[in-house]
Amino acid sequence: MSAVLVIEDDDRIRLSLVLALEDEGYAVSGASTAEEGLASQRSRPADTVLVDLMLPGIDGFECIRALRRTDDVPIVVISARDDTADIVAALEAGADDYLVKPVAIKELTARLRALRRRARTVGPDLVPALRFGDLEVLPEAGEVRLHGSPVQVTRTEFQLLRELAEHPGRVLSRQQLLQRVWQYDGGDERLVDVHIGRLRQKIEDDSSAPRHLVTVRGLGYKLQR
Amino acid sequence: MKKAGLRVRVIAGFAAGALTLSALMALVSYQIARHSLLSEREGTAVRAAYYDAAVVQAGLRASVQPDLGGLLGSLDTGESRRAVLQREGAWYGSRADTTGVRGAIPAGLQQRAAAGTAAVQRVHADGVPSLVVALPLRDGSVFYEVDSLSELQHTLGVLTLVLTLVALGTAGIGALLGWYASRYVLRPLTRVADAAEGIAAGRSDARLDPAGEPDLARLTRSFNHMVDELSASTERDRRFAADVSHELRSPLQTLAAAASVLERRKDALDERSATAAGLVTAEISRFQGLVNDLIELARSDRPADRTPVDVAELARQVCRDRQAGPAIVTLAGSAAVWLVDRRRLGQLLGNLLENAQAYGGGATAVRLELDGQGRGTIDVDDEGPGVSPDDRPVIFDRFVRGRSAGARAAGDGAGLGLALVARHAAAHGGTATVLDRPGGGARFHIELPGCRP
Repeated sequence: MSAVLVIEDDDRIRLSLVLALEDEGYAVSGASTAEEGLASQRSRPADTVLVDLMLPGIDGFECIRALRRTDDVPIVVISARDDTADIVAALEAGADDYLVKPVAIKELTARLRALRRRARTVGPDLVPALRFGDLEVLPEAGEVRLHGSPVQVTRTEFQLLRELAEHPGRVLSRQQLLQRVWQYDGGDERLVDVHIGRLRQKIEDDSSAPRHLVTVRGLGYKLQR
Repeated sequence: MKKAGLRVRVIAGFAAGALTLSALMALVSYQIARHSLLSEREGTAVRAAYYDAAVVQAGLRASVQPDLGGLLGSLDTGESRRAVLQREGAWYGSRADTTGVRGAIPAGLQQRAAAGTAAVQRVHADGVPSLVVALPLRDGSVFYEVDSLSELQHTLGVLTLVLTLVALGTAGIGALLGWYASRYVLRPLTRVADAAEGIAAGRSDARLDPAGEPDLARLTRSFNHMVDELSASTERDRRFAADVSHELRSPLQTLAAAASVLERRKDALDERSATAAGLVTAEISRFQGLVNDLIELARSDRPADRTPVDVAELARQVCRDRQAGPAIVTLAGSAAVWLVDRRRLGQLLGNLLENAQAYGGGATAVRLELDGQGRGTIDVDDEGPGVSPDDRPVIFDRFVRGRSAGARAAGDGAGLGLALVARHAAAHGGTATVLDRPGGGARFHIELPGCRP
């Protein structure tokens, strides 16, 4: 049974989400503040964290950053705010997905399933490493290496890199990436752009002049040597 | 008649002022110069006449029967002066014929001279201004000298010409000064106009520099104040829309989650409770749609965020989401990638499909075409009853539903769908219209300019 942590200060929203997700078969725990949520994640780590942005004390953005410092757990933002600035800031802080309230429970469980599918399968190296010059993607180990040393990436970032690495030199459109990584049919392309930006900071020597992960204007992204 | 511009009026004012001033100066200078030249000339003429009269007097005294013609001819009168002598009723001159000179001497002057008074008078002789000097001699005869002033008149003519030219030149310089001054004075106003244009174009941070023009401090202050108020008001509206949407969305989230719990346990409820739960669930999803549409409508005046989009793929996607067969989508030509706002175009297509489902028995065709001018056209056809001519002008207004009897579908929206279609088209600088589909039914026709990537 998959464990979900809901960090939401509105008692009624939190309770309704807990009830609904429990009905869908999740083991759900609730936290009304970021502090409480972070403590809960330290003592009993959940498989997925749902977080609101407007929280008393430590706000949602800071909560995401704090989670990301120690954890690559999938984080989904559920917020009533739908300004581009908020969405981009939350994704840049490290969120894997962003949903605007009100979210239908069917939609929410679909997103949770998509995130779970991205969980790594750690096993023996059956599939050979994909090499792009000094960059290595090891699909089976779920590992990324730059100049031979491992790079810390989240599951979503890894999945995104793996999709691109499995099609070396081929352009994948934002919609294709949304479909393959997030299982979105016609989703928000900002998800892809922000994740690409985060990846570049980790795997490029100069993220403003990327060598491996390049943008093909009007088409999408591709990974190259 | 169109009122002349401020600039033209300033230039004309400066020119007229300069002309008036310089004309006045010219007139005064002319009068002074003329007066002083004339009196000097008069003095010279009188002195010359006295000298000549003395010569004649001496000649008369020296001989009893003098040769008056020869005597007068010997005077050094030059070109301009002519001397005559009236003696005992007869006229004598250097030349035999003295009538021309005599005619120039007014009768009044002759009488005064005959009475023994020396006199000077300005006259016009044969159209030439002249000076007549009359000097009575001791023996009762009178010596006259007629001095032509044509040289002086020529000088004055030249002076007039020069002064006129100077006056005109000054007026020209005045106009130039006016042009410069108006440009200089109007420059701050140009900045105001630039700032106003900037604000109209959406740059809400456009302000005037308060240190820029001390004389226009009040204008600057009130302009900046007005802009501050305006952007504060816009910000308040935006904040209000954001707050309202936030306040509506949060309870809706609770309702949506709670409704899902009810929905899941429907079978465990008795029949009446299950029906009530079903109603609650259905209305919550309708309410949700309404709130989303309202929020969308409130911000629909924002410009379209255009990116290259595979519209054929998007249309098929939207069809799948609305349980319509993606096979109804056709693309004329090969240009499937258009420069549009993906989210808005998706919503536009979705709303048209939902509208066709609600009123036209479902869409039968979605046609996409990008023409040579980069204008994208979208036609969504249905084979329903069509849209009555009465409904056409208002169908894209807010909260308007089809008035056709019995057309209202269950779970119908609030009538915002087509209003959003029109707004999304307008955000792309395009239009939305409804036509008759050949063979019956309605055809919604969308035109979006500037779609060529």
